[in-house]
Parts: sequence; C-alpha cells; structure tokens
Amino acid sequence: MIPHLQIDGLSVVFRGDDEARILLDDISVSLNKGEILGLVGESGSGKSLLCRAVMGLLPSRQLQVTHGSVMIEGQVLDLAQMQTVRGRRIGMIFQNPTSHLDPVMRIGGQISEGLIHHKGLGVAAAKAEAIGLLTQVGFPDPERAYDSHAHQFSGGMRQRAMIAVALACDPEILIADEPTTALDVTIQAQILRLLMDLRDSRGLSIVLITHDLGVVAQTCDRIAVMRDGHVVEQGEKRALLAAPQHPYTQALIAAHPSVTTAGEHLPPDRAHQPVFELRDLEVRFAQGGGLLRKGKELRAVKAVSLRIWPGETVGIVGESGSGKSTLARAMLGLTPISSGKVVFDGLDLTQDRTATLRRLRSDAAMVFQDPFNSLNPRMTVGETLAEVLRSQGETPEAKIQPRVAELLEMVGLDRSFATRRPRSLSGGQCQRAGIARALAVNPRVIIADECVAALDVTIQAQIVDLFRQLTAHSGLTLIFIAHDLAIVRNLCERVVVMHYGEVVEDGTSQQVFDHPKTAYTAALIAAIPDIDPDRPINGGTPALNQPELTL
Amino acid sequence: MHRYRFVLFRPLQFLPVLFGISVVTFVLVRLIPGDPARILLGTRATPTAIANIRAQYGLDEPMWTQYLYFLKNLGAGEMGKSTLYKIDVLRLIATRVEPTLALVLAGVVLALLIAVPFAAISARRQGTVADHTVRVLSTAGIGFPSFWLGAMLIILFSVKLDWLPVSGYGETLFDKLTHLVLPGLTIALSLSAVLTRSLRAGMVAGLQSDIATAARARGMSENIVFWRHVVPNALVPTINLLAINIGWLIGGTVVVESVFALPGLGQLMVRGIFSRDYMVVQGVALTFAVATVLINFVADIITVALDPRIEL
Amino acid sequence: MLVAGVGILAAFVILAFMAPYAAPYDPIFQDGTARLMAPSPAHPFGTDNFGRDVLSRVVWGARIDLQMAVIGVVFPFLIGTVVGTLAGFFGGWVDVMFMRIIDVVLAFPFLVLMLSIISILGPGLSSFYIAMALVGWVSYARLIRAQILVLKTQDFAVAAASLGFSRTRIMFRHLLPNALAGSLVFVMSDAVLVLLSGASISYLGLGVQPPLAEWGVMVAEAQGFMTQAWWITLFPGLAIVVLAFGFSLTGDALADLMGVRE
Repeated sequence: MIPHLQIDGLSVVFRGDDEARILLDDISVSLNKGEILGLVGESGSGKSLLCRAVMGLLPSRQLQVTHGSVMIEGQVLDLAQMQTVRGRRIGMIFQNPTSHLDPVMRIGGQISEGLIHHKGLGVAAAKAEAIGLLTQVGFPDPERAYDSHAHQFSGGMRQRAMIAVALACDPEILIADEPTTALDVTIQAQILRLLMDLRDSRGLSIVLITHDLGVVAQTCDRIAVMRDGHVVEQGEKRALLAAPQHPYTQALIAAHPSVTTAGEHLPPDRAHQPVFELRDLEVRFAQGGGLLRKGKELRAVKAVSLRIWPGETVGIVGESGSGKSTLARAMLGLTPISSGKVVFDGLDLTQDRTATLRRLRSDAAMVFQDPFNSLNPRMTVGETLAEVLRSQGETPEAKIQPRVAELLEMVGLDRSFATRRPRSLSGGQCQRAGIARALAVNPRVIIADECVAALDVTIQAQIVDLFRQLTAHSGLTLIFIAHDLAIVRNLCERVVVMHYGEVVEDGTSQQVFDHPKTAYTAALIAAIPDIDPDRPINGGTPALNQPELTL
Repeated sequence: MHRYRFVLFRPLQFLPVLFGISVVTFVLVRLIPGDPARILLGTRATPTAIANIRAQYGLDEPMWTQYLYFLKNLGAGEMGKSTLYKIDVLRLIATRVEPTLALVLAGVVLALLIAVPFAAISARRQGTVADHTVRVLSTAGIGFPSFWLGAMLIILFSVKLDWLPVSGYGETLFDKLTHLVLPGLTIALSLSAVLTRSLRAGMVAGLQSDIATAARARGMSENIVFWRHVVPNALVPTINLLAINIGWLIGGTVVVESVFALPGLGQLMVRGIFSRDYMVVQGVALTFAVATVLINFVADIITVALDPRIEL
Repeated sequence: MLVAGVGILAAFVILAFMAPYAAPYDPIFQDGTARLMAPSPAHPFGTDNFGRDVLSRVVWGARIDLQMAVIGVVFPFLIGTVVGTLAGFFGGWVDVMFMRIIDVVLAFPFLVLMLSIISILGPGLSSFYIAMALVGWVSYARLIRAQILVLKTQDFAVAAASLGFSRTRIMFRHLLPNALAGSLVFVMSDAVLVLLSGASISYLGLGVQPPLAEWGVMVAEAQGFMTQAWWITLFPGLAIVVLAFGFSLTGDALADLMGVRE
C-alpha cells in the first residue's frame, strides 16, 4: 500500500553566520490513509520543525532542506508549488489558536478566505459552506460565530474555530501541532474527540504532534518518537508502548505520570495544631468598571475552609480559572482577603497582620510556574540566594557562601551555578534555582504554584522526584498546586479539587481518585490522558462531550 | 455597538484635563512679573481702560476668584484683547485657524502616503539594498530639523527650480494649495520617518507572526498574507503612534509656519511672544491643547474601529 | 550599528572639546573682504554674510548643541525616574495625582508649552533648560511607571515580596534596575527630540542668542541669503542631522542589545 503522506530521508540544516547545525537528520516517517500518527518528543526534538518543513514553511531563510523528499500518494511534492498543496491537500492547526487566528478579522472571513481563493466560490456560497463547517466543529450558533472575532471565544472554542479554518478547503491530510497543549484537560478531551470524529467522517489522515504520551496513547494508531532531530523509534502504538526498544522511549514512558500509581507517605501529624487553617476564605476582585459604569465583581475564591497539617503533602487541583493560584497567594498574604480567615501556625492573618506576615516570611516560601520569570533576570543565582539568606538574618556573613553551595547541592545543581544568570539556564535548572531560593528560607511550608507545568515530561519527573526527596525525611509541608492530576496523584497523599473558586472535593488521593464524590471530579479524572491505550479518552463520560457554550 | 459607548462618556473624562489646561494657561500669564492690567493692555493704556480691565478680570481680588472670572469670560467667548491686533484673541485665532489646519491635514496625509509604501517595500524585501536605504533614511529622517528641511526645500524647489512660491499664503484655493505644498512636505517628511520605522517594525513582526504562518499554511499567497493580515494588524499601533506624535506635529507647525511665513496660529504665537502680547500666547496655547485632546479622542475612535479587541 | 552610533557621538564630543584647535578660524571673526564666499579650499563650508567661516562656526556649534542635548536630557530623566518609580510602586493617590498632572502636560503640544514657558522666563539658554525640566520629565515618568506596573506583577517581584524583603529593597534592587533598561533606550531617542527642540527654539530666536555659534541660530541667520548662498543653510543643518543620527543609531543598537521593544 502506498502511504498517504511519506517523508523520505528529510534533513534540515541551520546555516548561521559561521556555523551550520543539522536540526533534522535523515527523517523518514509515513502516514497511511485514514490513520492518526502521533509524533512525540520534548522541546527541541524537532517535531514542529519537521511539520513546517513538510509544509514548506520554514520560519527563516537560514533554515534549509538539504536532503530528502515529501510524497503524497507516491507523488513527490515540488517546493515551488507548495502554495497549491497548503490548505487544499494538507491543512494545519497550531498550539496557540489565540496567536494564530487574525484578531482583527472575523472568524467567518478567515474560513471563507480559503474557499474564495482556492475553490473560487462566490461570497454567498463561501459563507454558506463556512457556516456548515462551523456547525461540524461544534459551534452551537454558527451564524453568530461566523460574524464574531476570535477574542470573543474561550480557548477551546478558538481551537474549534481554527480547525474549521483549516478544514475549509477540504484537505486530505491534517497536521495538528500540539493542538491541545494550551487547553484544560476536559477541553483537551473534547478537541481530541473532535479530531477523531473528523477523521472518521471525512476520511482524514492526521499527524498529531504532542509532548504528551498520554494523548498519543489514546488517540493515535501509530507513534513516532523524536529526539534531537532524529526519529528514534516508530511503530504500531500498542507494540511500541508495550515493548519500547530505544532507551529514550523507555525513559519517556517511565517519566509519564500515571494515575494508577500512587506515592508513599509518612502519616501527617494531626496531634498538633494545623499549619494552615482557612475559614470561609473569600477573595473578590473588582472587574472592569469605570467612572460611570459599575464593574462586575469576580469571586475568585468562594468560602473556602481547609486545614493543612504539619508534614502533609497536599495537592490543590483545578482547571484554569478555578481560583487555585489566588488561593495560594491569599494564604501567603500576597493578595488582600475579602472576608474569612487565614490562620498560619496559630496566628490570624486578618487580625494580627504584621506578626503573621513576619512568621509567614520566615516559615513559608513559594515556588512559581514560569521558571524564567520567577528569578530576577539581572541577578546571578548566587546573588539571589545570598539576598534571601541576608534578609532572613540567621546566617552569619561568613557562612553565606557555603550555605549557597549547600542549597544548590540540595536541589541537584553544581556550585558553579552560583555565578550564572537565569538567561543562561534551562527551564529545569531555573526551576531548581527557584526551589533553592524557597529552601533558603529554611521553611516549614512550601507552596508550589504550577511549578512543573512549563517543563518537559522528563524534567517534570525529576522535579517531582526532588520534591519527593525533600518531603520524605524532613517534616516539610508541601502544598502543590497543579492542573495535572496524574502528577498530583503521584506526589501527594491528599487532594483538594477546586472548581470556580470552590472546594468541591477534599480527601486522600486514594479516596478521591478511586471513588470521586462529585461528577466534576469524576469527569476531570476521566479526562486525564493515560498512557494505557485501552483506557478510552474521556472515560466515556457523556456529560463532557458537549462543547462548552461560551460566547 | 456597545464598544462605541465610550464616545458618549469619554468627553466627561476630558473634564479634569480641560480643567488642568485652563489652570495652566491662566497661571502662565499671571506668573509674569509686573502689573497684570498693564500686561493685558500694554504699556500705553489709559487709566479708564485699566480700571475697566481690573473690574472685568477681578484683578484686585484673590487668585481663585480671578480664575473664575477667567473661566466666565472664556465661557462668554472672550479671552481678552490682543495688544498688538486690538481685537479679541478668540476672534483673532478664528481668522488664523485655516492655514494651520490645512498644514496638519496635508502633513498627515502626505506622511501616510510616503510611509506605507516605503515600509511595505522595506519589510517585504528585508536585507535588500531597498530595505537598507529605507532604514537609513527613516532613521536619519527623525533627526531632520524642520526649519532646516523647509529652508532646503525652498532653496531647491523655489530658488533653483522656481517651481513653487517661496513663502506666504494665497487668496484663491489654487494659490493656497501651491503655497501649502512645501510646508506640508516639510511636516510630512519628518513625520513619515517616524511612521515608516513603526510600520516597518510592525510589518516585519507581522510577516513572522503566527497569524501569517497560519494564513500561509492554508495556502494564501504572500500578497494576501501581507495586505489582508499583516497590514491591518500593523496599522493599529501606528495610529496610536500618530496620536502620540500629534503634539509634536502641532509644535512642528509653529516652526514651519515661521519658515514659510504662513499666517497660521504658530506664527501668531511666535509674534505674540516677541511683542509681549501675552493674551495671544495664552489663547493659542489653550487652542492647541484643546485640539490635541480632541485629536486623541478621534484616534481612540479609529483604534476601536480597527481593532475589535479593544474596549474603552 | 553600535560602533557607528557611538563613533559619531564620540567624534562630536572630541570636536566640541577640541574646538579651539579643530576650527580653522575664529567663529565670530568678521572678515569684510570674504563675505558670502562659496565653499573653497580656504573655506570648505564657505563664509556667511559677515564673512565668518561657516566650518569654524559649525565646529564651535558642537559645544553648545551637545551641551543642550545632554543637560536637556539629564534633568527630565532624573525627575521622571523618581516620579515614575514612586507612582508605579505605591499606586493609590500618589499615582492618581501624578498621572493627572502628566495628562495635563501631555495635552499641550510639547513645543507650544516650551514656548509659553520661555515667553515668561524670557529668551535664553537657561530658560530652555528650565522649560525642558518642567516639561520633559513626563515621558520618563510615564515610561518608568508603565514598566514598574508590569514588573510588579512578575513572579520574581511576587517572590521577593513573599520572602519578606523590604519595600525599598524590592523597589530599588528588583524593579528599578529592570525598568531602567527600557528608559536608557528612550534617553537616546529623547536626546534627538531635545536637540531638535533646542535648535528650533534658537532658530525662532528664543534660545541661544547671536553672535554665539549654534546650528539653529546659524540657519535662522542664513534665511535672508537663501537665494545667493545655500551653503550657510546646508552645513549647520547637516551637523544636526548627523549628530541626531548618532543618537538614533546608538539607541537602536542598545534596544537590540537589551532586547527592548520600543
């Protein structure tokens, strides 16, 4: 059988001013008709570049295809005629629909643009077809969507819009570059389901690029694993996942957090008073409004009551907008509390603010999401750590440098990192430095806010491991905020689920994951992409197959 | 259509700024050392005239009362008499608005006509000789002093080539237009340098943006990518830049009117400064400030029309 | 780009310091026998209507015009940075008050407000500096304030607060150094505006007074002789253009270097 799309020995070279680097080395991958091929790899593996090369859309003139060819149904594509192939035969969707949709042009305009220029349809005919497409990708009110702009939709609906734009000229092949990475898990499940449905209804062949093995395991037919510009392994999904040949594939599978494996923990100390006690905590923000308009009020955190005990490892999970980050900031006194109480170590933040804040600053520390943004770009790692030690005032001046080295060692960094600035570090290294800064306080509590979300899977696993070591032997309390339930299941003994500012579930990881009490938690767990190919995506929960109705 | 609701409310937000403008212009004249009555009337005023002006402006009363008199007179359309021209300043200003307004309009239109094509050529042919030429010229162009540029244009087009009049303003429409070509060009060349740089930067970023990649990925030609997706997105920040520069542009008319002896507001102001005609200076400053506020308002409306994401 | 920009600026600084040696003639010496002479080996830039050597006047002009650009930038920069930092960091009524003042100052066309102030103070270079300090700080204040507001919400600033650092430490050690990067680029483009304003005001007769050699004054003095002697107009103007080009190039290079978008 002739493959639908065949990439044969493709190499791409970067020619800089005085160096040439091979970014893609002799890549051969094929996609059969009606198949979904998962292209998996971490950042820098070249998976996105490969698709750009196939489309003839290399982002710079310094990048050149030096060898190899691309064939559709056995016919070699001519680079000079790619414009007739793009959109008509191969469509493409991207990770970030917000930046890829034209913000000043209506959604309908972007769909009919392709129909008018490729198919030569008239404006009215194009509109009719565009509205049909919008219906197909799940817009409840396609007529209105046609006349709307991208910013009027939620992230998931924007991705649907982008799919409609890509499908406008009826391509046979769809390349999807990380199409669900920016989305919440429940929305991710919907978009993946939509792609699978479209494959069935239109006979599409799809290349799905992703960093998430769970996504490919549940949607793809075959998998190709990429690393450093090579395809290290490819094959039928089940065979590859069951018996990976290449060590990197094995490492990738091992690093994937699985919902079914739970971590081991020391029992928390419930004899003493809780570290944190929240009572009916509310955080409200004024939104919009002006001189003559009254703004809306956003209740980011609604009547949250929680107790966190010394030595506990608590995961707070929720999708974007659930209020979990605001909760963390309110607990540390970084966001004004609207009503209710935060008690830290017996001290009431609302009543005795100064004393509580002083205690919080010396006993609690925070680790942030964006590893690069969380360190002052103008200070070296050593300066950052030394500054914390000095301000805490417990380390004598002579002991500061040795202590900096010790802290770096604790987070697995060589002491030479003390003289480096954030810009010269990788994301994982930055995050380690951020954890070292938190440890410099010698804290009893660490609040980690989405601190692995921006990292590659293997790096994620390392950081989670680091946290596990830090909490295992000391009495450190860890509050781990994440949207990724699998990681939380791995790391935390207790889980708090938040939804629209409310705590909807609170219990041990085992209870919550095995016997969720609310439908929301159940849906959330079901939507987690798992590496087990036999677990259907979405867990078949019908409630979540409806598109969100936000306009 | 609620996005345009600000058109009704925004003028209310101007009130503090207008109040500030009136205070500044009021204080400016009162800061001048000497008897305010003589400053307002000139040194050769008669005693009765001085008594009258003291009553009209409340010059013997406290400062804030004087300010209220100033506002009241302003409300009645009176700003005081020009010592040089012997008529009320507001009426004087009304007779001088036309050349200045024409100059600003000609400047903006010509600047856009120059900037858009040059920026487009430069951005679409990056790295070529054309691109480098446009970049060097637009960077150097920011530093062209308008009084010098105007003089050089006169030397070239009026003295050497004898195509256009040296200076002044005409009576008939055609006459006026020929007198506006060189001053308009002077303003436009300076402004187009700023606009070209901004537009080019926006277009270069736009050509590499995700929006352009997505359009190419659906098979759109480079012309469609550029004119339908890149240009509209690059125009939004440029309109804002134009609004920010409008103050600079109006200030530029003061100089350019002096170079070309155009009888507009700028020339009126400069004459006023030299002849110590403070009422005229105050009046022109007030007029220019109010005009700037209005132009920024128009720029806001245009921005909202161009970019559906913006809500004011 | 940086080399070219800094090279131009350095050349002008050297020229200004070495003016007595670099200029072939006395800039105000009037040679009655050599009026309105076209450029020649003896007078490369020609002579003006008083028989003064235009090249020598352009060289001496570098002293005054450079001084105008530097002093005209320094005071607004200092005032604006302090105001912007305070307004951005503290917010609240401090911010509201300064922003209202800035709105009002910005409502006036820059040159018009400068001229109004100079009309009260009387013509002269010191009036120009005072007016510049009164008007020019607003752009710096706005810029720094905007930067501080963005930086304040960045994770490293929140981290600093969560670690219990004092407000002054966060402001001066963490926020201000990062905010200054952008305004350093702006200093260069502002120097161009200040240079052009100073020269324009002098051209109008309200800044530097004759017989001092200043480029704007020279163009003004040349205006009566445009029909006979183009060189008296051309060369002082070119000097402004080249100096301004030096500032712009340096600014662009700094922006690239520090990754600042204007």
